[in-house]
Amino acid sequence: MPATDERVSRRNIIKGAAVGAGSIALAACAPDSAEGEGVHVTRVSRVPADDPDHHAWRASTAKVVPLGPQDMALPQQLSPSISSVRVQAIHDGERIGFRLEWDDAESNDLTVRVDDYRDACAVLLAPGAADANLRTMGSATTPATLLQWKADWQRDLDFGRQGLEAVYPNRSIDTYPIVYDTPPDEVDVGSYEAAGATEWLPGLNVGNPFSANHRSTPVEKAIAFGFSTTTTAPTQNATGRGVRTATGWRVVITKPLSAADDGELAIMTATVSTCAFAVWSGSVRDAGSRKCPAKSVHALNVGP
Amino acid sequence: MAEVFNWQLNRTMQYPYEEVRPVRQAAAVFDTNKCIGCQTCTMACKTCWTSGNGQEYMLWNNVETKPWGSYPLAWDVRELELLGPQHWSGDTYTGKTIFEAAPTGERNIAWKPTDLDYAYPNRGEDEVNVSLTVKRYHLKLPQDMWFFYLPRVCNHCTYAACLQGCPRQSIYKRPEDGIVLVDEERCRGYRVCYEACPYKKIFYNHTTRVSEKCVFCFPAVEQGIQPRCMRNCIGKIRSFGFLSTPTEVREDNPIDFLVHVRKVGKPLYPQFGLEPNIYYIPPIHVDSDDFLKMLFGPGARAAIESYKRAMNGEDNELLAALLLAVSTDRIIHRFAVKGNTVEAWDETGEKVVSMPLKVPTIERVPYDPDLEVYRYNIT
Repeated sequence: MPATDERVSRRNIIKGAAVGAGSIALAACAPDSAEGEGVHVTRVSRVPADDPDHHAWRASTAKVVPLGPQDMALPQQLSPSISSVRVQAIHDGERIGFRLEWDDAESNDLTVRVDDYRDACAVLLAPGAADANLRTMGSATTPATLLQWKADWQRDLDFGRQGLEAVYPNRSIDTYPIVYDTPPDEVDVGSYEAAGATEWLPGLNVGNPFSANHRSTPVEKAIAFGFSTTTTAPTQNATGRGVRTATGWRVVITKPLSAADDGELAIMTATVSTCAFAVWSGSVRDAGSRKCPAKSVHALNVGP
Repeated sequence: MAEVFNWQLNRTMQYPYEEVRPVRQAAAVFDTNKCIGCQTCTMACKTCWTSGNGQEYMLWNNVETKPWGSYPLAWDVRELELLGPQHWSGDTYTGKTIFEAAPTGERNIAWKPTDLDYAYPNRGEDEVNVSLTVKRYHLKLPQDMWFFYLPRVCNHCTYAACLQGCPRQSIYKRPEDGIVLVDEERCRGYRVCYEACPYKKIFYNHTTRVSEKCVFCFPAVEQGIQPRCMRNCIGKIRSFGFLSTPTEVREDNPIDFLVHVRKVGKPLYPQFGLEPNIYYIPPIHVDSDDFLKMLFGPGARAAIESYKRAMNGEDNELLAALLLAVSTDRIIHRFAVKGNTVEAWDETGEKVVSMPLKVPTIERVPYDPDLEVYRYNIT
């Protein structure tokens, strides 16, 4: 089905704004570092929580991280569509921030239709100095902290929770019997919450963060003890924001240096940790283990 | 990959997990010859479980008109095309299952429907097997046109494709009854499950953004009551109970009797390799053995002959087991035939059914002197 006029216009606004902002920021960026070195976390006066184009990022050297196939866990992504991601990192003594930028011609920021898959990116943090054993989402004994920005969560935040009307504005519903007091076209997740009937939306009822009606951040903090174990952390204190650029996405992700949850990595200044990165492209149905991960882990050199 | 035994294929096959069977397996037998396509089962399920936002086109239970009907669109044809040739040698399947045919990097072959594939749940409804515009059949007898209704729910497979596909192990098979469920808290909406299930009986909820599927009305089953789609069946085509493995058959268990003893209940597309636990009595009027074999495996024709014997009064035990369908809300664990009566008991030993195999015909005189009227319905 064709996108709606409303949806097209929204996207154009986002893209237009992003192109403008992106060109300014790109011109101001520090040069890329060579491959093979670690990611250097530069100290700044303040980590901007949700501004990918803030001048604070000028202080940071960018590193181009090559991405490759995900050929370890099933299902695999053997034909990755994204070849690299540009990474910058800063901290202010309280929070650490990452800025990831990559090319992806198609924006995928909806997960409404069954074949809608989101664009996303993630940072993996783990102890050790570029410990390659932790590339597998941590290990049974050494957990990894995962920070994933999701394009659909960003759109929820920017424009309100996206539902069927985002794709099919002319949909017609006879009735939703559980919330029959509300006109069918006005029924949304809030209608079930107001009626105390969230058991009819099971994911929401059991507190699944993917089903949440209200979001405060587009970044999910999760802990993993190896493949298949990723679990949303109890404390959601990661922030971020993603914007479209002329060629793809520019995303900032931040979290406190300290750890709030079991298994979360506490990052000390003037130390070295392990980091890795991954990007998902919704246009090729990337989700979960179908992704474009960094070909190797990197040392996270946190400045004093 | 582990080597597991699939009795429907009469051989071992590759599956990602070891063979661990539940204590007992919730299962059902559907008699396609009695289904009238009224969709009461569909509505019973829809109004009970899937009437909320995000479930507009989600039908845990649907009824398709075969050969053309399908939901999602052409699901079986597309899966079979991906699977390639499917050969049987006697009762043994010699082709590949969806797990054995998996491409590199995947756990199974998978057709991936789009949202529009779910938009026409009644596609092909009541259409016959041949086009009426090609050849005019209206004066030809006996007619060789056919269609039949195929009611479908989740098969709660022994080797569930959705379960093995989920990279997070968010889908599990209950050890106590074999019902396959999604952990709604753990699912992250990757949708590998909906790709993996060849029957396309696991769905994506666009409002909660996670997967959902038929729960076999487990809250009822736990109380010894049959699922809602079974209880509401107008045509009384559905027998629900617990199925044993072929090595532990109980002849007084009606489901075992239908599937393992008389072998009239046949799995749908057994060649997929999932060992599905919804069984079908094949339609007697379909003249294409190839088609029946494709849908129900090599025993389809023999099942039809057994079924016909029961209908002709030559097999009262089978007739009795068939008559128990939707005769009670309780789950039947045991049945027995005593003369012209079939009796059945639930798990607690309480008798829940006692009914005649053949209802005597009573003829009344047409004229009722009390009301001074004539009746036309006199038998």
